[in-house]
Amino acid sequence: MANRTDPAAKSIHGTNPQNLVEKILRSKIYQNTYWKEQCFGLTAETLVDKAMELDHLGGTYGGSRKPTPFMCLVMKMLQIQPEKDIVVEFIKNEDYKYVRVLGAFYMRLTGSVTDVYQYLEPLYNDYRKLRRKLPDGKFCLTHVDEVIDELLTRDYSCDIALPRVQKRWTLEASGILEPRRSALEEDFEEEEEKEEDEQAMDAYEADAHEKDYYHGRSPTRERDRDRKRDSYRYHRDRDYDRDYGRGRERDRDRDREHGRDRDRERDRDRDRDRYRPRDEKDYGRERERERDRDGRERERRDRDRGRRRSRSRSRSRDRRERDREDGDYRKRRARGSASPRRRPEEDGGAREEPRKKKEKKEKKSDGTDHPDPEIAEANRLRASLGLAPLKL
Amino acid sequence: MIEVVLNDRLGKKVRVKCNEDDTIGDLKKLVAAQTGTRADKIRIQKWYNIYKDSITLRDYEIHDGMGLELYYN
Repeated sequence: MANRTDPAAKSIHGTNPQNLVEKILRSKIYQNTYWKEQCFGLTAETLVDKAMELDHLGGTYGGSRKPTPFMCLVMKMLQIQPEKDIVVEFIKNEDYKYVRVLGAFYMRLTGSVTDVYQYLEPLYNDYRKLRRKLPDGKFCLTHVDEVIDELLTRDYSCDIALPRVQKRWTLEASGILEPRRSALEEDFEEEEEKEEDEQAMDAYEADAHEKDYYHGRSPTRERDRDRKRDSYRYHRDRDYDRDYGRGRERDRDRDREHGRDRDRERDRDRDRDRYRPRDEKDYGRERERERDRDGRERERRDRDRGRRRSRSRSRSRDRRERDREDGDYRKRRARGSASPRRRPEEDGGAREEPRKKKEKKEKKSDGTDHPDPEIAEANRLRASLGLAPLKL
Repeated sequence: MIEVVLNDRLGKKVRVKCNEDDTIGDLKKLVAAQTGTRADKIRIQKWYNIYKDSITLRDYEIHDGMGLELYYN
């Protein structure tokens, strides 16, 4: 009979290899025309030819859930159970990407955990495009490395439940696998070196200025946040006109050339920004004083540079006012949030109302606090699925 | 809000509350949450008409209390 597994085949994961595909899907594949016509009497060699003709991957599609040829070939491989070398050949071949994905899929279904990680991870470097058939019959674009990622991280792909593999870090911890080396590692290392240099200077500054630096936030995050906030501020701040923005960049470049002194001053500014979100009452006053001090320092520095003298004075004054408002605003509203804030004079009043409205709306929009517990529970379920609440 | 009954004739009978303008796909998600099957494994039919995921219940004229057939893919 065509649908029986080869009697010499080993059992996979404790079961007949064809049982890796569940019953309903299996029957669908057996009744499929492609299976009956093309997949009859295939051997490992002829299977390769059929695999080379593949032009899309996918699970089942359409209202009646028709399987794709890709699925039929996976089933055929499970049935004849080719040798591991052959499967590895499938994976290693560079010319035919669908053959590669077919081999990877089979390996994921039948291989041991180490094999799976060992053979599938190199495919992360393959970024070729693939055509994928969606359940509604349309095609979508995906890439080889996306598919591999799906195979390694999800437990369901192409309508087949994938056998469980342990997480990578468990295997690394038990020493079975080496920690992963990405192909992009050199690029990351360069980035890291650059960041480390800046971080070293920040740390130096932090020591000099320190009141209460470490609030349990990682330095990387802070650095990123500061950088983001700084760039955010450059674009949003109306008082920073374009010249000043450009000037800053020029300064920074010059700083890099001229060494640590200038860097230190720039980083002092950044430190000042970093202190901003610590909204403790003790620091409010001190911070303002510090800010004033820094504002004056900046003014002095600008004067030294001999640039925009008149403007710098007004700017620092504006800054001081703005900063004071900032501090007051924070104290009054007791904002604990660390996210970058907008300038109060731009939308101070307007923001109160949307916030109040939003709070009011949130009570009603979810419907999860409906008096009837059944409806409340149904609404909770709907909210978790991303659906609108029930209309009563 | 309407309540629809889905029966698979093998022991699973599920009552689901939903809106009329929910799609069949949303209904499948709600059924999946209640029965524990995956949403994409569920097929909702009425005799031989397989209901499509993108069409709303109102367009299929599914009213309150109506029974649908639950099949699996």
